[in-house]
Amino acid sequence: MADDEPFDLAGCLERVRRRDQLAARELVEHLHPLVIRIVRSHLPRRVLEEDLAQEIFLKMFTRVDQYKGEVPFTHWVSRIAVTTCIDHLRAQKRRPEMRMADLSETEAEVLGNVITNENDVSPDDAVEARELVHKLLGQLKPEDRMVIQYLDLEQKSLAEIRQITGWNQTLIKVRAFRARRKLQRFYQELTEKEKR
Amino acid sequence: MSADNSWQKLAAAARKAPPVKADESAPYGFSTRVAALAFEQQPAANNAFARYSLRAAAFACALALGAVAANYTAIKGAFSDDGAAPAADDPIAEVVDLGT
Repeated sequence: MADDEPFDLAGCLERVRRRDQLAARELVEHLHPLVIRIVRSHLPRRVLEEDLAQEIFLKMFTRVDQYKGEVPFTHWVSRIAVTTCIDHLRAQKRRPEMRMADLSETEAEVLGNVITNENDVSPDDAVEARELVHKLLGQLKPEDRMVIQYLDLEQKSLAEIRQITGWNQTLIKVRAFRARRKLQRFYQELTEKEKR
Repeated sequence: MSADNSWQKLAAAARKAPPVKADESAPYGFSTRVAALAFEQQPAANNAFARYSLRAAAFACALALGAVAANYTAIKGAFSDDGAAPAADDPIAEVVDLGT
């Protein structure tokens, strides 16, 4: 398949329904970037991204006959990816409550730097901040975590999140509100324990 | 400083971190393996068997309805017999009749 040719998704789907293996491979290649982005954003601990991506594609092929074209195929696939990631996140135990003492020396320092320093963050601090954010997000419910990940880290719009997850905008707002309140509480507990 | 403000600052710092992996293309052999597994999971024979089973069930229903329609009068007669006929074959009734 030449790279400059537009991908014929409808034709490919038709061939996949007729059990054409070559078409199935082309479809996987075409959708892999979309699926892997979702997987990498919401990868549970101790799960390999390739295994999760494979599970998502297998679900897609099992249900492909049920796809009626009400939403674009990419949205339909991303919803399968989102629900699969949520199922895995639910299955893993939630991280135990975090305390300031649980943070490494570097993390505690980075947290202080990031919060007090109004200037630009150094690349090393940014990487540490990302790790810390993921630790905090690990304490939220999978759905709440996903909303915060999209809104605050990937800065997606409500409409984009709706397309990816299939959740309506009110539900997304409610989940974001609930998640931010929980994050505030976690953060307060974290800093109060440090003050004691 | 509010906790919400702190969270926003932490999130803003996290956004500046470079992506862990930039390559989003499928690893070598991934698509072949997934395609093979997908079709192995749903063999065509099973689908055909399910399809033909449904057709056979529909054909059997049609035959049953046809049989009922063809024998409608006989079936109706069997249920609408008056009480006299069984009485004629009733040995007790016969004995009682003999006595009178």
